[in-house]
Amino acid sequence: MGEYALLYILFAPFAGALALIFVSNRQPLLVRSIATSAAFVSLIASLYLFYAYDPVKGGFQFIQKYEWSKQLGISLYLGVDGIGTPLVLASSILLFAGIFVSWHIKDRTKEFYIWLLILAAATIGVFMSLDLFFLYFFYEMSVIPMYLLLGMWGSHTKKYLEMTDPEGLKKRDSVGFILNFGSNSKEYAAMKLVLFLSAFAVVALMGILLIYKFSGLNTFDILVLREQANLMNIPVLGTTLDKIIWVLVFFGFASIAPLWPLHSWSPVGHAAAPAATSMLHAGVLMKLGHFSIIRVAFEILPETTRELMPIAAVLCMFSIIYGGFVAFYAKDTKYVIGYSSSSHMGYVFLGMAALNYISLSGAVIYMFAHAMATGMLFAMAGWVYDQTHSRDIPSLGGLSNKMPFISACFVVACMASIGMPGTVNFIAEIMIIVGSWNKYPLQVIVAMLGIVLTLAYLFKMMRGLFYGPMNQKYSHAHDAISTVDRLPLLIMIAVSVGFGIFPMHLYDVVRSGVDPLVARITLVVPVAETGEGVGMRSKATPPEKTSAPQAAHKSISHTPQVSRGGRE
Amino acid sequence: MTFSLNMTFSDLLLLLPEILLTCWLCVVLIVDFSLPRLPKERLAYLSVAGLVVTLGCLGWFDLNHISGTLFSNMFVLDRMAIFFKIFILGATILVILASIEYVNRFTFFRGEYYCLVVMAALGMMFMASANDLLSVFVSLEFATLGFYILASYLRDDLASNEGGLKFFILGVFAAGLLAYGISLVYGETGKLVFSDMASTQATPGLIIGFLLIFASLGFKIGAVPFHTWIPDTYHGAPTPVTTFLSIAPKAAAFAILLRIFLVALGTFKPLWVSLLVAVSILSMTYGNIVAIAQRNIKRLLAYSGIAQVGNVLIGLAAGTKMGSDAVLFYLLAYLFANIGAFAVVIAVGQVIGRDEIEDYRGLNRRSPFLAFAMLLFLLSLAGVPPLAGFIGKLYIFVAAIKEGLYTLIAVGLINIVISMYYYLIVVKQMYINEPVDPSPIGISSPMKAVIYVGLAGTLVIGIYPQPFTDWVVSATLMFANFLGPSATVVPPSSPLGG
Repeated sequence: MGEYALLYILFAPFAGALALIFVSNRQPLLVRSIATSAAFVSLIASLYLFYAYDPVKGGFQFIQKYEWSKQLGISLYLGVDGIGTPLVLASSILLFAGIFVSWHIKDRTKEFYIWLLILAAATIGVFMSLDLFFLYFFYEMSVIPMYLLLGMWGSHTKKYLEMTDPEGLKKRDSVGFILNFGSNSKEYAAMKLVLFLSAFAVVALMGILLIYKFSGLNTFDILVLREQANLMNIPVLGTTLDKIIWVLVFFGFASIAPLWPLHSWSPVGHAAAPAATSMLHAGVLMKLGHFSIIRVAFEILPETTRELMPIAAVLCMFSIIYGGFVAFYAKDTKYVIGYSSSSHMGYVFLGMAALNYISLSGAVIYMFAHAMATGMLFAMAGWVYDQTHSRDIPSLGGLSNKMPFISACFVVACMASIGMPGTVNFIAEIMIIVGSWNKYPLQVIVAMLGIVLTLAYLFKMMRGLFYGPMNQKYSHAHDAISTVDRLPLLIMIAVSVGFGIFPMHLYDVVRSGVDPLVARITLVVPVAETGEGVGMRSKATPPEKTSAPQAAHKSISHTPQVSRGGRE
Repeated sequence: MTFSLNMTFSDLLLLLPEILLTCWLCVVLIVDFSLPRLPKERLAYLSVAGLVVTLGCLGWFDLNHISGTLFSNMFVLDRMAIFFKIFILGATILVILASIEYVNRFTFFRGEYYCLVVMAALGMMFMASANDLLSVFVSLEFATLGFYILASYLRDDLASNEGGLKFFILGVFAAGLLAYGISLVYGETGKLVFSDMASTQATPGLIIGFLLIFASLGFKIGAVPFHTWIPDTYHGAPTPVTTFLSIAPKAAAFAILLRIFLVALGTFKPLWVSLLVAVSILSMTYGNIVAIAQRNIKRLLAYSGIAQVGNVLIGLAAGTKMGSDAVLFYLLAYLFANIGAFAVVIAVGQVIGRDEIEDYRGLNRRSPFLAFAMLLFLLSLAGVPPLAGFIGKLYIFVAAIKEGLYTLIAVGLINIVISMYYYLIVVKQMYINEPVDPSPIGISSPMKAVIYVGLAGTLVIGIYPQPFTDWVVSATLMFANFLGPSATVVPPSSPLGG
């Protein structure tokens, strides 16, 4: 293993998908075991990666570089830093869990696992790409499997299914139907998701092509570009080129994150998707947005990031509040979780916007934490749907008698999602809030409100699903009894709580990735001061390197704002 | 201009592939009428054998870097000509293999079908080598003649007759334009060979002449606004002929366009860039938007073909060595995806008997292989990684952005998203909808071979493009002499326009 860890993580799922092509659907056990073993290899390798990553050394590690196209200046350049490492781990955990969550899929099992593996592998590929071309390559590659996963194994909304009268059937197939909020078919959700993400992906691609052209280096290598590209102060269309590129890249990638005005594909897609797909989608696919913004905009255009990141700080408020309120009023389990995800992604943007060590580390840890929490919620919503074939909260109820294990796990997942101390979400949230307080007090207050909202809608959903009078229609529903069904939930709970109690290594790894980045962004010589119109980056030493290995709780308790910014 | 016909053996060597193929064509023809009882698929394999031999000969040329000119520069065999000849022969082989089953639908002249296909291929091989305006005219008409007949080969089918007639009338009109354009250009410059024109002045007569020539070639590649024959002819023609028509003549016409724009008109680049930009934007946008409304898969692929030509024109509009590399590379990616997609259409049409998109309902349940192949071909056409089409599009965009064609790239990027919609509609029918009739669809083995070749090409070019980029880069080396160094290093103050 060793230095090739990244190749194992990335190519094990691809190899699994390839092997599955040659297996018949009549051997479901063989299909599942191939998928499981592919995911297992990936999981083990990423666990190794996570613990073998040396946070003291920092920087990009486990680097693999293979020339891919001389003419275009592309190489398959893989490597992870402290930001990519936890996200790679989260992806492979969710893939592994997702395979067990979808254990009972009977229809075209083989195809399901093929697309699921490709989806996960492409996602992982983004997290370890150090080449702009391959970043985009994997990013776009992760979108198409979503179409098939949603379309083939997804589910319609209740309203859509209720339209069975002749007029309703006509309406279901009409064009205007796509404007009918809340009663969407899975085909519509799938198409919207793909077109929306592709449309914004090409916006980001335009930004990438502009970087390629104006750097004049004939390379897509991020590390070369961030050191040598000089994109500052090129006047264009009344503004400067770097701002245009930054806006293209930021909004192109923010659509998948999803930032507030660009979010509408996301809950629809979550709702239509089968459970394992929702888990990967909400758990890691959405983080591709934040990650790509960090990798492209933050790394290559640090000065512009410092200048324009307040845009994110403004929009993230809307994300948090809007998502929270819609989730509160939604009646569909998956819509609630979907909107809660898009609301929670607002915290990540807040953490990124504040641009200091604590908040950005918090944002990265939050991405990891949210992957686990939302993964659990979607897995359980999927379980309830599989048992009852309903996602409609008012029609469900009292399921805790039938499924005590699921309802217990659900409580834990809610706690994690809210950010209860003891889960890794707590650490992440407190870091975002503490870190952003000085710069964006208003946003922090909104974020606190968002936490209250989260509490409200998750408890409301929990009550609606598991407590209260039981609908006798669902008396056949049963609990997750077998190991296969319990394993994914237990894994995610263990990870969430485990890192909540022992966050030191995670924190160290993340800090080792965040510190040089924040140093680049905050310590660059301001553009105006150099006068010459050349965006010089100061060679100033990254500050307080010693702070990185500190333990999380210490660092937080050192910060005086903790009492002011605390919860309750 | 005087012709010297003192040909030496080494001159003949340059013509060897064409001579070989002509002889083989005669052999096929003789075998066809002297052995009338011979099953016609034997003829198909016989023609394929001839094509393979010719292909081998060209491969040997390519490896040994054999090149030269004949007939006072009218005929040129350089590496680009070899590339396009290999391309055309490859396409012809795949088309013949894909038509073996389909040919049984023809009531008459089943044997002649293969002869006509090979004859058209021969004409296009000359197109790839045409180095002056006269040989352009002769080879173009020679190649198109075969297609006129092939397009209306289904004698009892009204749509086929209509398509063939439309193609013929508009084709003859385009030939007239070409002849008129050539006469204008010759009148202005007194020259016919492309490389001699490089130093001429841009006079109005010359510009009009080249516009007419461009219109005629635009007709061949099906670029908007010269595309009107495409949907009906593609729809009406027998599907294997549509397959052939959708790829080989376009490639051959692009060989001529590359020579005209980069060699003959290389010095007037500022004049023609905006023309190509406009045609490219129109083709992409029109093709993609109209494709959305199509209910017939052949028409859908016809309109998508118009849009793809718009994409290729981006590379031509870049007008650099890299742009021409991108054009060749894109055509290569397009070859596999397009022939593959049409092969699936033929295979499905063979069983169902129709080519409506609805007929693809639940194809995944009826034939997982066909559905998967079609999925990959359509996604490659749409430009989704890791398939060949994506690399092709990226190559073209990179070539164009180096020349600062920002508007064109923006339109091209938007068009990727539009095209994704209608390709995904077909994917939805195949994968998401349930079949009306769930009986499995069988595939004949030559058809399977074609689809496997298409899949292999689409995936290999997408995942490991280096050998193919090397090939196209070496194929267009001669353009480096005619074009200045491309503007890779941009002064930091250059404005963002275009």
